[in-house]
Amino acid sequence: MTKDFAVPPVVFPTGGSSGGANVQQRRFAPIPFQQPPPSSSSQIPFLSFNMGSAAASSATQAGPFGGTISSSSSFGGGSPSFEDEEPLLDELGIHPDQIWKKTRSILNPFRINQTVHKDSDLSGPIFLYLALCLFQLLAGKIQFGVILGWIVVSSIFLYVVFNMLAGRNGNLNLHTCTSLVGYCLLPVVVLSAVSLFVPQGAGVVKYVLAGVFVLWSTRACSTLVVSLADGGEEHRGLIAYACFLIYTLFSLLVIF
Amino acid sequence: MYNNMGPQPGMPMHQGIPQPGMPMHPAIPQPSPFGNPFSGPGSGLIRSGLGAYGEKIFGSSSEYVQSNISRYFSDPQYYFQVNDQYVRNKLKIVLFPFLHRGHWTRISEPVGGRLSYKPPIYDINAPDLYIPLMAFGTYVVLAGLSLGLYGKFSPEALNWLFVKGMVGWFLQVMLLKISLLSLGSGEAPLLDIVAYAGYTFTGLCLAVLGKIIWGYSYYVLIPWTCLCTGVFLVKTMKPVLFAEARSYDSSRHHYLLIFVALAQFPLLIWLGNISVNWLF
Repeated sequence: MTKDFAVPPVVFPTGGSSGGANVQQRRFAPIPFQQPPPSSSSQIPFLSFNMGSAAASSATQAGPFGGTISSSSSFGGGSPSFEDEEPLLDELGIHPDQIWKKTRSILNPFRINQTVHKDSDLSGPIFLYLALCLFQLLAGKIQFGVILGWIVVSSIFLYVVFNMLAGRNGNLNLHTCTSLVGYCLLPVVVLSAVSLFVPQGAGVVKYVLAGVFVLWSTRACSTLVVSLADGGEEHRGLIAYACFLIYTLFSLLVIF
Repeated sequence: MYNNMGPQPGMPMHQGIPQPGMPMHPAIPQPSPFGNPFSGPGSGLIRSGLGAYGEKIFGSSSEYVQSNISRYFSDPQYYFQVNDQYVRNKLKIVLFPFLHRGHWTRISEPVGGRLSYKPPIYDINAPDLYIPLMAFGTYVVLAGLSLGLYGKFSPEALNWLFVKGMVGWFLQVMLLKISLLSLGSGEAPLLDIVAYAGYTFTGLCLAVLGKIIWGYSYYVLIPWTCLCTGVFLVKTMKPVLFAEARSYDSSRHHYLLIFVALAQFPLLIWLGNISVNWLF
């Protein structure tokens, strides 16, 4: 299963005893797919990739991967074994279970769970954006830049309108606003998927469907925005109209 | 005539009615997206409230800049103090100005030694920026819809419609501003004029909606909209003109007002004609 590379063991000077020298040493990252070594830093019988190390032979055999692994692991300070490295998704800040929970909370049009949206993230909206672009591509429209631009502009618009209406105690921040606008695009994504199957001539069906999904989006977005930021309770209808405009705009892209 | 607040504002505010724009207590203000609450009518109260920190926060140069900005660009927060009832009543006034039985002057109140107007919640004649912004957005969306129904929709066409709408708004602002300037003083706040100019988009939305629903209704709705917008602007600008003007040359005022009303016709016909190329 795991193959040891046939290289001579490289022995590094034991600087691990003193704390000062430890700072100078780069962190040694093991080669992937190898057995983790015994955790004594003095005699390391494996090939480790060090950015400025004297082991030139290791550098040549490391290839392009060496720099990346040691640069990413040189920020951490812990022990050099593979299991202690942070998983890639966590390091990127993408939490798939959270994204799935948030997406599922919007799938039910009648009861929206607001607590799950408290910490905003932008990776869910990016997935939904890519899904929308994919469905538009399947319909023959290449609109990647357009949709991204409209998401940005409409989230700025909603941010301005909400904070102006809420006055002194309005505390919606742009990150949360973009996250909410992005997540509530889910019904529009569903609309674009469904409208791929609507036959060509039946225009009225498309408009009715679009109306239903836009109303779903609007309800989700306005409920979430009002519940997650202060100061919006008296202005529900006004904010809902702003959300309605935003999602009608996106549905125009889908229908026509 | 229109009472937007349920109970009278003199009563203690238990019902969660939003506070008026001038802060009654020197709380630390939240940062707002544009402008800042330090300019505008409440600034004196805020500065006195901040006390010793006032001089530190406003360095001498920034105070100069802020006072200059506040001269040209009044506090936008004031224009967004609206609620549902205000929006409904204001839309009724803008779309059917003949039916408004009350007076058209704004209610003013003395605050901090200066005379300032009551915010839109308390005064149906005060301009607000929420309705113009939403009306503009509705116009763009409806225009896109109407383009799509004729098969000519594309995102670039929508961008051109947006630009066309902005140019139309700008032209309307210029019209009002020039008519104010030609009387010798143009000291009405810029955002007031932007708000008044933006009210034309409400009638325009109605016309475009009519065009979508039934093509021939457009030819009835556009003259109606032009007329209503003209009457609304005349009735609104009349107190502004008479307040700002120095010399009391009444015939010139009236000619200007008639000109403003007549200029609505070409402007609205141009804006209402929705096509792919944005000039005509």
